[in-house]
Amino acid sequence: MNPVIKICVILAAGSMAALTPGKCLSVEVLKFRHETSIYADAKELGLKQPEGVACNAASDLIVADTGNARLLRYTFRDKAVGPEVREIKVPQLPYPMQVKLNSKDEIFVFDGKLRRIVRLTAAGKFSGYIDPPGLSPAAGQTPKRFHIDQNDNIYVLDIFSKQVIMMDSQGKLIKTIKFPTDDAYFSDLTVDARGHILLLDSINARVFSAAGQTATFAPLTENMKAYMRFPTSLTTDARGRIYLVDRNGGKIIILAQDGSYLARLSARGWKGGLLRYPAQMCLNADSEIFVADTNNNRVQIFSIIE
Amino acid sequence: MRRTRITFRSARFCLICTILALIFVAPAYPQHKVKLQPGAKGTQCLKCHEDLAKASKQRSVHPLLKKGDCTACHDPHTSNHKNLLISDVNTLCRSCHQQVLPDKARSVHQVVVEGNCQTCHNSHGSDNSFILKKSGNALCVECHQDIGTMAQNVQYKHEPLLKDKGCLNCHNPHASTRADYLLKNTVPALCTECHKTNRPNFAKRHMNYKVDDSNCDSCHSTHGSNRRGILYDDVHKPVAEKKCDQCHPGAGSANALQTKKQGALLCRDCHQTMIEETFKKNRVHWPVADKTGCLNCHNPHGAKEKKLLKDSQVKVCGQCHADTVELQKWSKENPKNKNLCAPVKKGDCVACHAPHAADKVLLITQENISIDLCGKCHEWQSHSTHPIGAKEIDQRNRNLTVECLSCHLACGTGNKPWMMPFETTYELCIQCHTERKR
Repeated sequence: MNPVIKICVILAAGSMAALTPGKCLSVEVLKFRHETSIYADAKELGLKQPEGVACNAASDLIVADTGNARLLRYTFRDKAVGPEVREIKVPQLPYPMQVKLNSKDEIFVFDGKLRRIVRLTAAGKFSGYIDPPGLSPAAGQTPKRFHIDQNDNIYVLDIFSKQVIMMDSQGKLIKTIKFPTDDAYFSDLTVDARGHILLLDSINARVFSAAGQTATFAPLTENMKAYMRFPTSLTTDARGRIYLVDRNGGKIIILAQDGSYLARLSARGWKGGLLRYPAQMCLNADSEIFVADTNNNRVQIFSIIE
Repeated sequence: MRRTRITFRSARFCLICTILALIFVAPAYPQHKVKLQPGAKGTQCLKCHEDLAKASKQRSVHPLLKKGDCTACHDPHTSNHKNLLISDVNTLCRSCHQQVLPDKARSVHQVVVEGNCQTCHNSHGSDNSFILKKSGNALCVECHQDIGTMAQNVQYKHEPLLKDKGCLNCHNPHASTRADYLLKNTVPALCTECHKTNRPNFAKRHMNYKVDDSNCDSCHSTHGSNRRGILYDDVHKPVAEKKCDQCHPGAGSANALQTKKQGALLCRDCHQTMIEETFKKNRVHWPVADKTGCLNCHNPHGAKEKKLLKDSQVKVCGQCHADTVELQKWSKENPKNKNLCAPVKKGDCVACHAPHAADKVLLITQENISIDLCGKCHEWQSHSTHPIGAKEIDQRNRNLTVECLSCHLACGTGNKPWMMPFETTYELCIQCHTERKR
């Protein structure tokens, strides 16, 4: 168990929206340890500006080795990277950026060059594109980011029509939810364990939330620029904690489920444990954190000390 | 002998009387007791302060000086403030002239916010109205030199600038409750006070488009320009050629002011090659792909900046990347950064980043940052004796080679010298040369 400290907030001045006078919060004190870094494939060919990582319960780690136009499949067990590394290279995926896995271990990748979501089988074979209904690639309308929830529903960030498109696992439209405000630039979305959709506004470092059944987003946090520079990616863990990848700041900011600040992981730098322009992160069942450390040409692995 | 008993009640009564006497009588004491000479509050002062005596004879004189009440603003003996003022100069004027800063101001003159009234006004007297230091536009252009120079040199000048009140024909001097930029009214309401939209000539000049509610300064340079009709010097070709219907439906259409297509799709009709090249790259700058598209950064009609940019690069890029622009600004202001990289100093973001799309991370335009990008200006191989290049592995990270960005950060590092990410060169060097660590 994490050590838990009970804090009663007396004054809310200058604090985030979630902190209201007299409200008691359980604040977890999180500590992290840098476990290791992945620098290369089995043939010792170095990673080149990797931008995506995805992990699953079976200890698989998929890395989008963006600069080398390929995916790499690693295993990470008992705090060590397995010796077997599989390269996945398909012509339909020239510039892999963001990676996600569904419950069947199918691999979904956002390709930067095609600006399409590519679907691969668990074995890494091309099985098609996910083209969200209503988005016309020919008209320059492209998905920006996507997420897959635990029921394999696919959520797409549609910046053209300023909405989130929710589809089933086969790409059939379920619903759309409009962005909450024009005074924002949304870079990523995720769905937490409760089914709430979270939207990340990079410009103001704000998170918006929409409960699964509702059709509107509400602010979960206020402007958090004091904590980070330019967050571009977010994910959540089983406990509902929210992890924001601060690309320009070279760090991960962790928020509680209610949006209050919890902790910071890493800082900007070149050495092991430090980050330069991280792009995406994922967590596995053992609370291990994998970060695509793009400009350091590596993937870094941290663990949360329980 | 009769003895008076002092009871608790009578003692309390005495105490209250004493306190009341102190409150109401004591302040009056000095005025009655000190034997002030006649005119001690002001006219006496002018015997020594001859310059102020002269000022009091000028065309416009501060009413308190006229009244001979110098002590309204100055303490005759001592003060913690400059010129023996009774309070800080920033608040003193406003204690009487509260109306210069209205409660619900939409825009306020910077000098008013700072309380620097003396930037524009003399405190005592002047030959200009409102005790102003200079008359007309001459006063404004002392600070707003860019506008002054431009307005003076352009071929076509905006007429109100030349008329008696000059800048004040359109701007309030202190604050505006109605519009930005201290404008007396919002645009177009302010413009249509003179430019009547119902006149046939107005309609003809605007190709019969109903622009009564449009933003005039999307096409017109309000202080003047070198184009007839004070259109911006840099104007979109269809505007210059009066081909509004290239982007908009015909003037008679119900939605005449809407565009025919949305986002980059509209621009692609003419800028086909550029848009196609953009969408062929590995990474697109995301604002290009949203519904606003090109207009996130460019004005569709005309602009002060080149390439129809909405504003300077720093301001346009800073709309979203405020964190980086803040760092750039901070680096520029840092005295340790006298040799700051020229594009950072100028705020020339596109010297290194492609504004529309690129194949590299962070939209870097060149394949090799050190050789292709920094090498454009710096002879990097002669820059220092430090080994640099593709064969030199960075000691901190085996997947990186030593290049310019191993020691410098390209967008600036705030208060750190030489665009280094560390406070001192020592801290930087021991990153790799750990054996030299003291």
